[in-house]
Amino acid sequence: MTAGATGLESLRTEVPGAPDTALGVAPRSPDEVAQVLRHATEHGLVVQVRGGGTHSGYGSPITPDIVLSTRHLAGVESWEPDDLTLVVGAGAGIAEVEMMLGGKSQTAVMPERPGDATVGGVISVGLSGWRRARLYSTRERVLEVTLVTGDGRIVRAGGRVVKNVTGYDLHRLVVGAFGAFGVVVSVCLKLWPVPPAAATVAVDSVETARLVSRPLAVLGDRSGIRVYLWGSDEEVEALAERLGGRHSGGHEWPDDPSGAFKWSLRVPPALVPEAIGRLPEDWAFVASYGVGELRAASEGSGAAAEIRDWAEAAGGALVVVEAPPGALDGLDPWGAAPPAVDLQRRLIAQFDPARVINPGRLPGGL
Amino acid sequence: MKYPLGVGLIEDLRRALGDENVLEKPVELYLYSKDASLIRGTPTCVVFPTDAAEVAEVVRIAESHDVPIVARGAGTGLAAGASPTEGGIVLTTTAMQSVELDPENHCAWVGAGVINLDLSKQAAPYGLQFAPDPSSQSACTIGGNVANNSGGPHCLAEGSTTSHVLGLEVVITGGEVVVLGGKAPDPPGLDLKGLVVGSEGTLGIVTRALVRLIPIEPDVRTLLMDFPTVEGAAATVSEVIAAGLVPAALELMDQRMTVAVENWLGAGLPTDAAAILLAEVVGETEGVRSDAEIIGDIARKHGAGTVEVAETEAHRALLWKGRKSAFGAIAQLAPDYYLHDAVVPRTKLVETMKAIYEIADRYELTLLNVFHAGDGNLHPLIAFDAGDPGINEKVHRAGDEIVALCLRNGGALSGEHGIGIEKRDMMRTSFTELDLDAQARLKEAFDPQGVFNPNKILPEGSRCFDFGGVPRREVPEGVWV
Repeated sequence: MTAGATGLESLRTEVPGAPDTALGVAPRSPDEVAQVLRHATEHGLVVQVRGGGTHSGYGSPITPDIVLSTRHLAGVESWEPDDLTLVVGAGAGIAEVEMMLGGKSQTAVMPERPGDATVGGVISVGLSGWRRARLYSTRERVLEVTLVTGDGRIVRAGGRVVKNVTGYDLHRLVVGAFGAFGVVVSVCLKLWPVPPAAATVAVDSVETARLVSRPLAVLGDRSGIRVYLWGSDEEVEALAERLGGRHSGGHEWPDDPSGAFKWSLRVPPALVPEAIGRLPEDWAFVASYGVGELRAASEGSGAAAEIRDWAEAAGGALVVVEAPPGALDGLDPWGAAPPAVDLQRRLIAQFDPARVINPGRLPGGL
Repeated sequence: MKYPLGVGLIEDLRRALGDENVLEKPVELYLYSKDASLIRGTPTCVVFPTDAAEVAEVVRIAESHDVPIVARGAGTGLAAGASPTEGGIVLTTTAMQSVELDPENHCAWVGAGVINLDLSKQAAPYGLQFAPDPSSQSACTIGGNVANNSGGPHCLAEGSTTSHVLGLEVVITGGEVVVLGGKAPDPPGLDLKGLVVGSEGTLGIVTRALVRLIPIEPDVRTLLMDFPTVEGAAATVSEVIAAGLVPAALELMDQRMTVAVENWLGAGLPTDAAAILLAEVVGETEGVRSDAEIIGDIARKHGAGTVEVAETEAHRALLWKGRKSAFGAIAQLAPDYYLHDAVVPRTKLVETMKAIYEIADRYELTLLNVFHAGDGNLHPLIAFDAGDPGINEKVHRAGDEIVALCLRNGGALSGEHGIGIEKRDMMRTSFTELDLDAQARLKEAFDPQGVFNPNKILPEGSRCFDFGGVPRREVPEGVWV
């Protein structure tokens, strides 16, 4: 680290996972985030944003000059259970937030096995929980966002009410944008009430799972297929019986499969059974029926190109979520370039003109 | 190359679309000079392209002549989003009528001009439906729903249009046709389609939408409850949600509206109740049965007089009739009405309603309320006779006060109708200059030439931090005709 250390010394801190050559900073306010980003813009430095570090390897690799940790932007600003809204700092851990919300039988419908993931991280890389099958994806939960643009402007979009069509939906655009519009510093999330009863039912086939109209999720892995139910005691009891399988109270969400390579395979929902059939036997997976999302893991990447060709031809994608350094052997982390790359570039340039936040991490070299 | 303003515009459009698809007679232009708002514009011509390729031609022609394009579906918008206030081409989407159902993947590619209710009717044989159900669903188009991120009573549980758009075919600047999103989840790259939804035709022209279709639930229960106080109804709404229930709809009608509807329909509504709450739960039979019991118990706890539960379709239709007839009932009160759309946090519903009545009383206006209580989306409605001297001024001043009140109570400018021109200048009360500048930058990146529905959504001068920006369009009135 040579250029740019000056001026940011007061924010310097140890950031786990940051390369030795990078300056670690952990700003305590949006203004301090702006200070870092203005400095980076002025000096042409590359900034990597770090939440819990669970998805640091997701997207095309970058070499940061500065690693900006959101860990000091983690406070709960307001929680209005009756309005179903939560305003929280980007650095707040999903696990802690969901535990707090559970105290009043609410949820932010974030990923169910988050590990150390943060609210800001999940939003920035666009992860959703399995419950999206019934309650939709993370982008539907983001009501308002405050972000600091690449050139250091503090901008708010959306609003703190559950229904709102005021202005352009910049707050939804930041979901999955890997910080391209700015560092998300706080968000307002739309919460959902958790009904009293829940059950996880093992079923013998997808056809059996269809006996229930709109379950919370239907997940499959190498051990079988499970239907996730929630509702009133009477409803859950009756539906579990209708499915006829072994069931347990509560929800047993699977951990993400582990391996040297982690993949996200996305296909039109009706193709999930075929997608499973195309995975080599030594690939572990969890597949969401009705959604078309499969999280997979493997020790090698040999079969990836073929699976990707099939998925892309079917209108989907095979994306690398994690891989050992240098192991991709020419395989692009994202696959085919997305549409309207020029337009995407023009949009990003309006917010990060020097392209300092995660440059090149998005598909299409953006 | 650039042409002098308007010269050859009609000829170019006729060459591209055929004579019969370009209207320019004064009487025809008048029909397309406004939407369902009160704001009228002066279009140069009206065109009816049939697909993306033809729309692309129109965009290229508009850009070469430097005239605006205002997209229009059925014209049911209430915020003047489809009023051609800057003149130019009104691009009507009604000729884009394709529907490609994909029941296996629970979705459909739908032409922008397809009517909302027609889509659900076509999907019904497959046990599927399109969730957004604005009150105008028998007339409004999918393209209009996408443009305005439309809601409706049933978006409490399922979200607004944006949650149900998986992909879009859009004609953007330069007449480029792009397909954004698709049937697989989480397409890599920026979520441009999500930005186009709700952008009121200002970023490009949507020609087809890939929409999510959700299963029609196997069973439904509809409840009608009357309350001696508005507080009792509002408390019921809160406690229902706290109990872990999100009904498919939770609609509240105040006493003034109930009386108006009852005078018109004679449906036996309790006119002595301070508020009527209509709730609907959908799902498996076991679920809706227990949900209906829970809602009924909560309502009684908060003073509900009668709790009427419909189990048959006929009974359900009867209970909904009052809610759905509300706007019709206004006609026998006064010839004109002004319908507002604002949102407050649900916990502020009661105090906001009381303050709204005070505003109406102060201006001596007839104000009624029927709204989506579950998500705090208020629709105060002022009934008036535009022939009364000075009344328009009073209606607008009261309206401005109501919106300002909602914002003071932590709310938003619009829950489902959009900003258009109607609320454009109020955007400054919701956002800082920097926030508006950020939004203006989105518009600028999409529409560098400024042809797509200019001067909507954002107040003038929003792009305040770039002095070298696109110059404001200066068009002498009537120069094209």
